[in-house]
Amino acid sequence: MRNFILFIRRFFNLILFLGLEIICIILIQHTNTMQGNDIVSSANTVAGIVYKKQSDVVYYFGLRRMNDSLLSENTMLRKKIDAITSIDTLIDSAVHRQIDVNDTSVHIVKYADYVYRTAKVINNSTNASNNYITLNRGAQDGVAKNMAVISGAGIVGRVEHVSAHYSSVLSILSSKQKVSAKLKDGTTGYIVWDEKKPDILIMTDVPQQAKIRRGDSVFTTSYSFFPPDLLIGRVLKIATIRKNNLQLLYLQSSTNFRKLQYVYVVENKMSQERKTLEDSSSAKK
Amino acid sequence: MNVYIKNMLRFCVIVLLQVLILNKITLRWWNEPSGFPIFIPYVYPLFLLLLPFEMTVPALLISGFALGLTVDMFMNTAGMHAFAAVLMAYLRTNVLSALLPRNLSEYAGLHPNIKTMGWMPFLVYSVFLIIIHHFVFFSVELWNLSNIGFLLLKVLASTLTSMLFIIVYILLFTRQATSSRI
Repeated sequence: MRNFILFIRRFFNLILFLGLEIICIILIQHTNTMQGNDIVSSANTVAGIVYKKQSDVVYYFGLRRMNDSLLSENTMLRKKIDAITSIDTLIDSAVHRQIDVNDTSVHIVKYADYVYRTAKVINNSTNASNNYITLNRGAQDGVAKNMAVISGAGIVGRVEHVSAHYSSVLSILSSKQKVSAKLKDGTTGYIVWDEKKPDILIMTDVPQQAKIRRGDSVFTTSYSFFPPDLLIGRVLKIATIRKNNLQLLYLQSSTNFRKLQYVYVVENKMSQERKTLEDSSSAKK
Repeated sequence: MNVYIKNMLRFCVIVLLQVLILNKITLRWWNEPSGFPIFIPYVYPLFLLLLPFEMTVPALLISGFALGLTVDMFMNTAGMHAFAAVLMAYLRTNVLSALLPRNLSEYAGLHPNIKTMGWMPFLVYSVFLIIIHHFVFFSVELWNLSNIGFLLLKVLASTLTSMLFIIVYILLFTRQATSSRI
């Protein structure tokens, strides 16, 4: 026993050092498995308040740019409205589009799966391997884990930690998450990020036979947690991998991640039901 | 001023400087030579560099852990900064006693500085610890050794800029009046 105490006293520094490093490793592992440890994230109150104070100050410098982005978003939405009102909704059977059901002769189910909430970006990073964005909306405003976050121009990320008034979002500029994407002709693939430039995304797993040109748009699919048919970016460069005959597309991201200010948190009201169904069917295999 | 209060204040100042200003500026050294890494300068290890000479290793470890965890909290990198900072705090005593002519306990009431150590020893001491900190942090962050060149480039570029900021900080916050070296 005496020897044991002497041993501890002799190597106390080393033991403390190893102990602290082990605590760090445990913390790192917890975040990497995405279980979420909300204490050490910028969704907690102290970091939230500091970031909010800062954003209050910096806010005014971006007003002009924000006006421009709002205008361009408005034009886009107007175009969309035009497109929808001119389409015969009965022939076009995209179920997620809102359909006017005054006509009772045909049985149509009305879908409006998504609830959009605005949120202000109070902290943003683009230079780590896993980039996080802090928003000024939290559980009290209806934000929950795994909701999609989009901006007026394109996709942003997924909510990972939530506190009462703040939430932190893992952006798609991250090595941790893949997003499924499609080209205009329906060819699907995955969007990943190579941890280098915040404007360039990479679309992998595109088959060789798909005909792609520079400038083609890439959209989200309904497989992922994002609402379908949102613009992700435009093709900048096309590369072919010889090994497996797949193509690699470099995309210019439509969202400017360096200058995010306002985003929409998208709640999918059907996601719980869909997840239970998918889990139950995959459990049976 | 009391040494505890002084260091607490310095802790707050350096963490806020790191989190509110330096984290926001993304540095690209020149435009885009084949994916040259984007990085931000990490200046917060300076707090550990400037702690008093006679501080014991457990106290250093605890303050390194607290510092790392605070920065982690703001940057959503749970544990990574803390890991690197604790390692740096552990090595600090050894580096200092290797560089200084006398035993560390003889420098009571002083803290590492260009005045107490002189330019060269202080630069060697800080460059060495900063390189270790950056190397460990970026390896943990990237977590694969497949493109080790990218990692080394990132560590090198980041160390150079961090040192630049650290030297600026030292020049700004050192009183030039007395030149009493030991």
